Amino acid sequence: MVVLCTAAGLRAQTNAPILSGGVQFLSSTVGGNTFFQPAIAPVLVVPLGEHWLVESRADLRGFISHENGSTGPYSGQFIASLEYLQLDYIANAHVTVTVGRFLTPFNIYDERFTPFWIRDLQDAPIIFPIGTRTTGSNNGLMFRGVIAARKAWEVNYTAYFSVLSTTENLQSGRTAGGRMGVFFPLAGAEVGVSYQRFLQDVNYNSVGTYFTWQPPPIPLDIRSEYAHSPAGQGYWLEAAYHFSKSRGDTSWLGRLQGVARVQQFFKGTPTPGADLPLVDVNRFDFGLNYYLPHDVRVNGSYGRQYSSAGNANVWEAQISYRFLFPALPGVFK
Amino acid sequence: MKITLFAASALALFAICASVSGQSQAPAPTPDKKQRQQSAATKSAADQTQTAKSTADREQKEGERRFFENCGRCHNPPESISPIEVNAVLQHMRVRAMLSAEDEKLIRKYLAP
Repeated sequence: MVVLCTAAGLRAQTNAPILSGGVQFLSSTVGGNTFFQPAIAPVLVVPLGEHWLVESRADLRGFISHENGSTGPYSGQFIASLEYLQLDYIANAHVTVTVGRFLTPFNIYDERFTPFWIRDLQDAPIIFPIGTRTTGSNNGLMFRGVIAARKAWEVNYTAYFSVLSTTENLQSGRTAGGRMGVFFPLAGAEVGVSYQRFLQDVNYNSVGTYFTWQPPPIPLDIRSEYAHSPAGQGYWLEAAYHFSKSRGDTSWLGRLQGVARVQQFFKGTPTPGADLPLVDVNRFDFGLNYYLPHDVRVNGSYGRQYSSAGNANVWEAQISYRFLFPALPGVFK
Repeated sequence: MKITLFAASALALFAICASVSGQSQAPAPTPDKKQRQQSAATKSAADQTQTAKSTADREQKEGERRFFENCGRCHNPPESISPIEVNAVLQHMRVRAMLSAEDEKLIRKYLAP
């Protein structure tokens, strides 16, 4: 009886769902026009035993700006989106099957850096819409896992297809694609390639490649992506450095992080719905992030954008808080 | 004759009882031997505790390394995480970051030792 009760207790504890995510207030000034974005992005994770998992993330935000661009009274609108709601079956180290709505696994930005409490610079890269049409999320089926792993290298993959959906907040394109990466743990580096075939309206291919490097002894993160589609191509390269001798340093200086990013975009054939600039664009950004105690972060950045449509300064300031607590306190102990 | 037989039977019974008693109970240790046994047992327990502690420390260190190797590619460690939350967090990251079962086990020891 005691053994059964203990087993039941452990089972209950291991299945405790959590509510995580972030809250932010972001102020942006682009070319003299200022707007504010208060937002909350709740993440719900419900384990169902050892192999099954339900995960979800939504983004609820206000968009407050002057009615006439840079003048007039402020007005706001509310924007809600469901970024993912998926059921995962973790079969083994090689295969996880995901069904539902998931983030598009094209290159790395969408899956890894879209949470505003994680990304180092708040503006998404210009090439972000390449390979992530139509909303950065897809409704369908995905397989992912590690093909083979050794001490010095690991090959990972994702493969998916998705169906067309025009339901509000659940939009998705009819696509198929995948990504393959090689991770070198000892060097802290990863390289990979991505492919997507857009299968509705005008069919076309998007391809991409990415590179990340975290030299183990130095708290430096280097990330880069290149992507190509008929609507245009481009790249971004970002470096972020914690002012400390090692990772995880919580001294006052170790909590400070400097970030720099350069990016270039070259226009292609104008494609309806591609959500890409119609002109060539060059841009650089510099920023500072400060990681306060209790998972609070403040940051500010300055960027300059050059294009034939007009140059612009981009100023941003954000405060965010990452939260994590049991979703059903009192039920699971 | 009867007295002799009775005495012989009594002696035989006493001998059998003494023999059985000797088999079922070990001779009582001398105080020195008992102390040595206690000392050895204490040392063994201390060694086991020390070994378990050093194994736990080593696994925690390895868990930290694997955290920064895998999870640290995108974000910093959370400031605090309770044992009740850690399983869901690690299952979530197992899918997102494609962690192996061994990574998950070791990172658990780092996040919620």
